[in-house]
Amino acid sequence: MSLDIDRTDEAPVPPLGKRVQELLETRPGRIGVWVAALGALALVVAFWSLARKALIFGLAEEAPLALAAVGFALLYRLTGIINVAYAETVTLGAYFGMWFNTTFGWNFYLSLIPAALGAGVLSVITYFAFFRPAHNRNVGVVEMIILSFGLSIVLRYGLQLIFGHEQRYFKVPFQNPIRILGLGVPPFRVTALAGVVAGALILYWFIQKTRLGIQIRALAGDEKLAQVSGINPMAVTVLIWFIAGVAGGAAGAFYGVGASVRPLLGWSKFLYILLAVLVGGARGLRGVIVAGLGMGVLLSGLTLAIKGQGLYSEILVVLLFIIILKLRRNRMSEAAKV
Amino acid sequence: MAEAAVTASAGRPHLRVEGAVKSFDGRVVVEVADLTLGNNPVEGLIGPNGAGKTTLMRMIMHSLKLDKGRVTFYPGDGARGVVISSRPAHAMASLGVVKTNQVIQDFEKLTIWDSLLLAAARRREERPFRIFAEKRVWARNTDEIKRYLEEFPFANPYGFAKSAGEKKLLDILRCLLLRPKLLLLDEPTAGLPADVRDRVMQTIKKKAVDENVSVVIVEHDLNVIWTLSDYVHFMAEGSVVLQGDPAWIREHETVVEKYLGKGHVGH
Amino acid sequence: MSIDWLSAYLIYALFTVAGTVGLAQLLHLQMGLAGIGNFGIVGFFGLGMYAWGVFQVRIPWPDALGDWGSFFLSLVMAVIVSGLAGLLIGWVIADLEGDGVLVGTLGFATIMYSLALSEKRWTGGAEGMAVPDPLRTFNWGVKPMSLFWLGVMILLVVGITYYVARVHRSPYGRLLIAVGQNEPLARSLGKPTFRTKLILFALGSAGMGLVGAVFGVMNHFIRPTEIGIEVTLAAMVGLVMGGSARVWGAIVGVLLTAGLFDIVVQIYLPLPDSWYQITLPVVREIVFGAMLILVLLWRPLGVLGDMRRDKLVERLGSG
Repeated sequence: MSLDIDRTDEAPVPPLGKRVQELLETRPGRIGVWVAALGALALVVAFWSLARKALIFGLAEEAPLALAAVGFALLYRLTGIINVAYAETVTLGAYFGMWFNTTFGWNFYLSLIPAALGAGVLSVITYFAFFRPAHNRNVGVVEMIILSFGLSIVLRYGLQLIFGHEQRYFKVPFQNPIRILGLGVPPFRVTALAGVVAGALILYWFIQKTRLGIQIRALAGDEKLAQVSGINPMAVTVLIWFIAGVAGGAAGAFYGVGASVRPLLGWSKFLYILLAVLVGGARGLRGVIVAGLGMGVLLSGLTLAIKGQGLYSEILVVLLFIIILKLRRNRMSEAAKV
Repeated sequence: MAEAAVTASAGRPHLRVEGAVKSFDGRVVVEVADLTLGNNPVEGLIGPNGAGKTTLMRMIMHSLKLDKGRVTFYPGDGARGVVISSRPAHAMASLGVVKTNQVIQDFEKLTIWDSLLLAAARRREERPFRIFAEKRVWARNTDEIKRYLEEFPFANPYGFAKSAGEKKLLDILRCLLLRPKLLLLDEPTAGLPADVRDRVMQTIKKKAVDENVSVVIVEHDLNVIWTLSDYVHFMAEGSVVLQGDPAWIREHETVVEKYLGKGHVGH
Repeated sequence: MSIDWLSAYLIYALFTVAGTVGLAQLLHLQMGLAGIGNFGIVGFFGLGMYAWGVFQVRIPWPDALGDWGSFFLSLVMAVIVSGLAGLLIGWVIADLEGDGVLVGTLGFATIMYSLALSEKRWTGGAEGMAVPDPLRTFNWGVKPMSLFWLGVMILLVVGITYYVARVHRSPYGRLLIAVGQNEPLARSLGKPTFRTKLILFALGSAGMGLVGAVFGVMNHFIRPTEIGIEVTLAAMVGLVMGGSARVWGAIVGVLLTAGLFDIVVQIYLPLPDSWYQITLPVVREIVFGAMLILVLLWRPLGVLGDMRRDKLVERLGSG
């Protein structure tokens, strides 16, 4: 949006009257949020037995979604690329982790390291092999999505060619379930959840609060500014791709240890990742984390509510998030740019 | 347009902007209490950078939403006013309110003829099942387009607009082919070669006088304003602070002080 | 006339190629001209196929209609249902950017796949459903029936191609290109861009649904495995390979991809028998995915190259 207004001399803090007025003006939206929150709370209380299961299972099983979504959101927000092949970064993370875990007998937590690093390196390789040349050739936005879609297909079916359709598993020792809110949960899931949340928060903190993170945000996509400030723009871009890959790979390993490792692992989660990023992304990385976790809870809650019909809960969640996306965009849209 | 002379003074197409406010990040950029644009054939809208001229234009054309207020368009043929600020953006052109673009805008994959035919085609000729309507559109518009192309020659009218000047000219011609009643020109001369600029301005002035089109020009090149316009609105800090004849505005001390600088008066 | 040289597989492969050309041509309108990246082609294709099957099999049509009456009514319903779905999805995505379009269309295809699996009562779930062929009363045998439907599909695709060719030289096509190139500018010229995209999407979806329905008719069996991402990929790679500049793009592109692979490679190359079940389908997808990347990187306008719209316009102008 190009406006011929000079915004350099903005008043630092608007006067109190102005702030009160703004608060009054935005009240319908805030009231809506509070009503929704209270409604959600009421639902949780009313259907407590269902809600606690949804919370526990949803968080435990779908927590990696938040981590994967943060990685995808980083890449999308900072480079502007919608990378469909990110799904396969997740899948490959699971395969790398499983490989070290089963072949070399590494402990799961230890095998997270090669999983994350391997996926990160792979992500950087795809950048140099495909996305950078495409960017240099001025490939359009839709074409870039198609290109990443093609890459996703190649990687996914390539894995299928090598490993076949069969599901593979991490080797992790059996542990007695621990009880949370009266429900038995494998301790493994709990540590996984903690790990995922920690990972997502560290990423969040790194990008939002640290000096390097702030520099990355400021310089991404603005190569000239980057050069002026003495930072190698290529290094920044590579770092972004690497971090995104690390997040995706770790998420994949967590998914893999929670269930199984298969070529379609990442792709089966991709739609949810994309929805979480688009719906939560308007409120920054925090919004993405919340949307990702909320989606997991909703998925397992609906699955429980509709008596184990997982397909319906998936349909409903996809519909719900698309509707939210549509409503949000409608409210925000400025009619045109001309 | 035979009746043009009759309605010329009685009912020019004009816009009325009432209580229009737009702010960004809590900072008010435009605040216009009551402004009528188009009571004269050619009006100028001037003011220093950041006065909100382009923002006001974009608010009128719906590319920016009003925070408050409304914009009404009176077609000037005695018909009642239409509140355009509650109409969709694409409805402006068919009502007769048209704006040229300050920043160069083009359809990369459409040739110059395509672009002009697109502007001239009627909506019902563009329906999905009208797959044989092409001949009719050419037949109906060829003469008019050819007249424009003879007056303003392009390097290859069947090809694509190449230079910035060609694109800018194409933008203005597209707007003329929409047969506007009220034409807003946002810095029309920027990027046009001098001789083309003069002819464009003559054509537009002629349309304004002969065909009862109301023209509003936003322009930095003040010579254009002083020579062409019949009336001038002076904007500063988001509102219209002065209105009057070009000669009067030119001498007014507020304008001189805020905008022109001392040196300008004598020239 | 003997038709022994025509293997059942060859007929099926030709049928697939023809159907893919139809889908690619419709995608040409949506993506090539209007710039809407539809990643849910298979959703509309599948909806048409299943809607036809469900109407044909699950609705107790009155006997008076006969086989053909119920067949045509089901076909019409399939087109209407897919068109309405297109209208709905079009409304969702028409004012979203590329990311929203991706999620909306991909989400639709996923939902369709899930519904095909979950609504066992209507769709037969994972096992699928058998659908009767209205030709069966003629006792022609399997191969002539397949040939008949191949002919129907080719006619349908020729019709779609003719329409696309006409759109290229009509005011509607110009409007679509304008919307795809610079939507705000088109809007400022008085073009109702949202409605244009909406209607385009509904029409394209109805067409994809019809292609899907004819597919189901020929197959005699409707299964979720028929509506995987492979369908979207084949149409997309065909269009990208041939380019959106010309009407021939989609045809040439599909012949160079699905045509080459499904017919030449699978029938005429001496490949080990064990490959056909598992390996070849996977290799097909890998090759198509790689084609997408290679073409977009090295030949972004497709093998046919740039559009000579200036030549076309000059021709239109002089005659």
